[in-house]
Amino acid sequence: MQLGLVVQLVINGLLLGGVFALAALGLNVIFGVTRIVNLAHGQIIILTALTCATVFQRFNITPIEALPVALLGGAILGIVIERTLLQRLPEHAQSREWTSLLITFGVSYFLIGLSLAIFSGDFRSVAYLTDSWRLASVDFPKAQVLAFTLAILIAGVLGLFLRSTKVGRALRAASQNLDGARVCGIDISRMRTLSFALGCSIAAASGALLSMIYAYNPDTGSQFTLIAFSVVVLGGLGSYAGAIVGALLLGLAVSFVGFYGNTHLGSMMPYVVFILVLLFRPSGILGKPATT
Amino acid sequence: MTLRNLGFAALAVLFLATALVPLSGNGYILSLFYISLLFTGLAYGWNIISGYAGYLSFGQITFFGIGAYFVAIGTTQFHAQWWLCALAGGVFCALLAVPMGYLMLRLQGAFFALGMLGLGQSLRIATDVIPYTGGAEGIYLPPGANAVVVYYWTFAILVLAILLTAWIDRSAFGLRLRALREDERAAGTLGVDTTSTKVRAFILSAIVPALLGGGYAWYLTYVEPSSIYSTEIELQTVAMAILGGMGTLWGPLVGGILMSQISEALSTKFPQTHLMIFGALIVVLLIALPRGIVPAVNDWLARRKSSAKARPQEAVT
Amino acid sequence: MSALLEIDGVSRSFGGLRALNDVSFSVGEGEIVCVIGPNGAGKTTLFNVISGVFPPSAGDVRFNGKSIVGMPTHRIAHAGIGRTYQIVRPFVRLTVLENVTVGALVHESSYSAARRKAAEVLDLVRLSHLADTQASSLTLTQRKRLEVARALAMRPKLLLLDEVMAGLNPTEVDAMCAFILDLRKIGISAVGGIEHLMRFVMNISDRIVVLDFGRKIAEGTPKEIATHPEVIAAYFGTPIET
Repeated sequence: MQLGLVVQLVINGLLLGGVFALAALGLNVIFGVTRIVNLAHGQIIILTALTCATVFQRFNITPIEALPVALLGGAILGIVIERTLLQRLPEHAQSREWTSLLITFGVSYFLIGLSLAIFSGDFRSVAYLTDSWRLASVDFPKAQVLAFTLAILIAGVLGLFLRSTKVGRALRAASQNLDGARVCGIDISRMRTLSFALGCSIAAASGALLSMIYAYNPDTGSQFTLIAFSVVVLGGLGSYAGAIVGALLLGLAVSFVGFYGNTHLGSMMPYVVFILVLLFRPSGILGKPATT
Repeated sequence: MTLRNLGFAALAVLFLATALVPLSGNGYILSLFYISLLFTGLAYGWNIISGYAGYLSFGQITFFGIGAYFVAIGTTQFHAQWWLCALAGGVFCALLAVPMGYLMLRLQGAFFALGMLGLGQSLRIATDVIPYTGGAEGIYLPPGANAVVVYYWTFAILVLAILLTAWIDRSAFGLRLRALREDERAAGTLGVDTTSTKVRAFILSAIVPALLGGGYAWYLTYVEPSSIYSTEIELQTVAMAILGGMGTLWGPLVGGILMSQISEALSTKFPQTHLMIFGALIVVLLIALPRGIVPAVNDWLARRKSSAKARPQEAVT
Repeated sequence: MSALLEIDGVSRSFGGLRALNDVSFSVGEGEIVCVIGPNGAGKTTLFNVISGVFPPSAGDVRFNGKSIVGMPTHRIAHAGIGRTYQIVRPFVRLTVLENVTVGALVHESSYSAARRKAAEVLDLVRLSHLADTQASSLTLTQRKRLEVARALAMRPKLLLLDEVMAGLNPTEVDAMCAFILDLRKIGISAVGGIEHLMRFVMNISDRIVVLDFGRKIAEGTPKEIATHPEVIAAYFGTPIET
């Protein structure tokens, strides 16, 4: 096992992990405030990726250029979903959980159908920046580095927003203690909408970035929901730092297993990680537990 | 004739009509009814773990697939009778459901749902690397498959599933199951062995799709991962149970009948977009009739009864 | 008189927070013992430990001489400990009768026998007229009675009542008082209670245990407790020096 190969795999894994992190952060934001699991999350990522691929092919607009539109479009989608569907949820906590799961399940299939109708079943990707930089006999694929950098940037902006702005702090308050936040005068309904807007916006952004790395077809959406979820669970529910660490670890796992095993086993890694973490270390690396 | 008797009469007619369909000799009608029976049966299986136990699963397709592959591999590699293979698949899934249930049912809500979803997805991917499964190319089953035989097999499984659900609905086991669905901790302190009860429900909900999957493989005479571990099948199953009413005895039947008609109409009219319409339909249903048709009808009947009680002089003859 | 329930040096921590700190007392057969204390004193945590919702971090809980630490909740229920919750937890989509039948199934061997027993218990708490109503339609008071009925249907030897008076008006409180005193007549050996309502506590208890910040600060008869300096300090603070 040459050092060069290992380093390459590590680099690939980390670069991949960076974008996974972005996908997971979106899910974390939504779940943190609304306690709703957005099963359509992965499909939003895919839909954006497919759109970027098509737009690149037709109009030569790169995903980077499309990024602001993706962010905006995702936010709008999130607002629409939350306002029209999730505001009508029953108040009883358990029905709320089931109904929201089923609703987002329905939305995800709607989006799959939409993707299939628009993009057909083909695999698409963006052939942009397909070459790499070479540094000390290690390849740094340009597209991946760019995606990673932007992902970290967006994550950083999100972090700043949550920490330093009034709205951001309100959002964090709502995710830590709903009733407490209410008592402090925070408009919970607005927070829910905001968290959905943010979450879906970030999902769309990660879709745009991922379009440069992988090829997608409409059926792969649920895989991404699972990836995002695995990261969240691995890093620990509610922990943003954990999500980043978890994402990098998962990226490494996919990279190594994908190479030494085969790509199929690699793509099964998110699920394997998900189950193992939930069963043996439910609180993840740094977070709150997911079991009874 | 009371409403109840009317219901029973309708059921009897439905039963007879369904039993006699193969005699019509029309292959198209047979396949139409077969698909309805299949999905309704799957909806009943889903209803046990998701409706009665309250553990929403988006991966019951896992057992369906295992059952199908048991028949595919059994008939091609071991030259066994297909229904024996299907039964073996059922037994295997029942046994598998024990450790799987103990592990997975520790997860709550969304985590259980996603865990099961991932399981189905993983199996689909894994089929490529498991020997004897024919990988992505699939397996062609030996000729001699008789659609009528599969039809009656599926019909029988559906009837058994309905009887099973009726038993759950009226038994102590079912009461404990519903109690733990409502509040698992309170159920525990009231003496319900929540772990063993929900694992038992999980086992039952695994056997039904396994047996139905076995029949499906024989019906199609060809299996391959994406048509067997199909997201559409999972979606339709869930949609039927939701539409009809999760956790009720007749919900999946009502949902099954209605959804089959809707699905058939949609696939022919909108072949490209029916998945989209289905998804939208689920969402609309959940908002309009959050508990499904059967509970809504029951509520309506109950309101009629109480208002009739309040006005005895206007009682209907 | 042998102790039915023995709490022996029980401590329970949640991370850095010590909710219970070396609490010991016992409840004998035929006794009504009330556990009182200011909010946050650890009373509900104690009940959760006893009923098996989570184990103690240290110490032992013995029922009928046998340790029940580590036993799953349903086996503790079968052993004879029933409990109600401070914030009631009815099985919302089940009928009132079904709710109580769940409890009755602990002791009855058949479903129909359990239903009959449940109907009897409903009579006792005067909820029979609501037997076929969904629990979701009940008022809070009715839900409280349902909560007690469910636990009673289990025919427990020991009943843990967590703030069963909360939210009741004075007439209802008196009715509940009388009801609890009657429990001994229907075979329930002892009652452990958590209460804020002093009138009730003083009237009903054979003994009182006082918790504050997770520690037991006093134990004794109502008279002894009423004049106990540490108890007074815990509730009212120390007198201001003039």
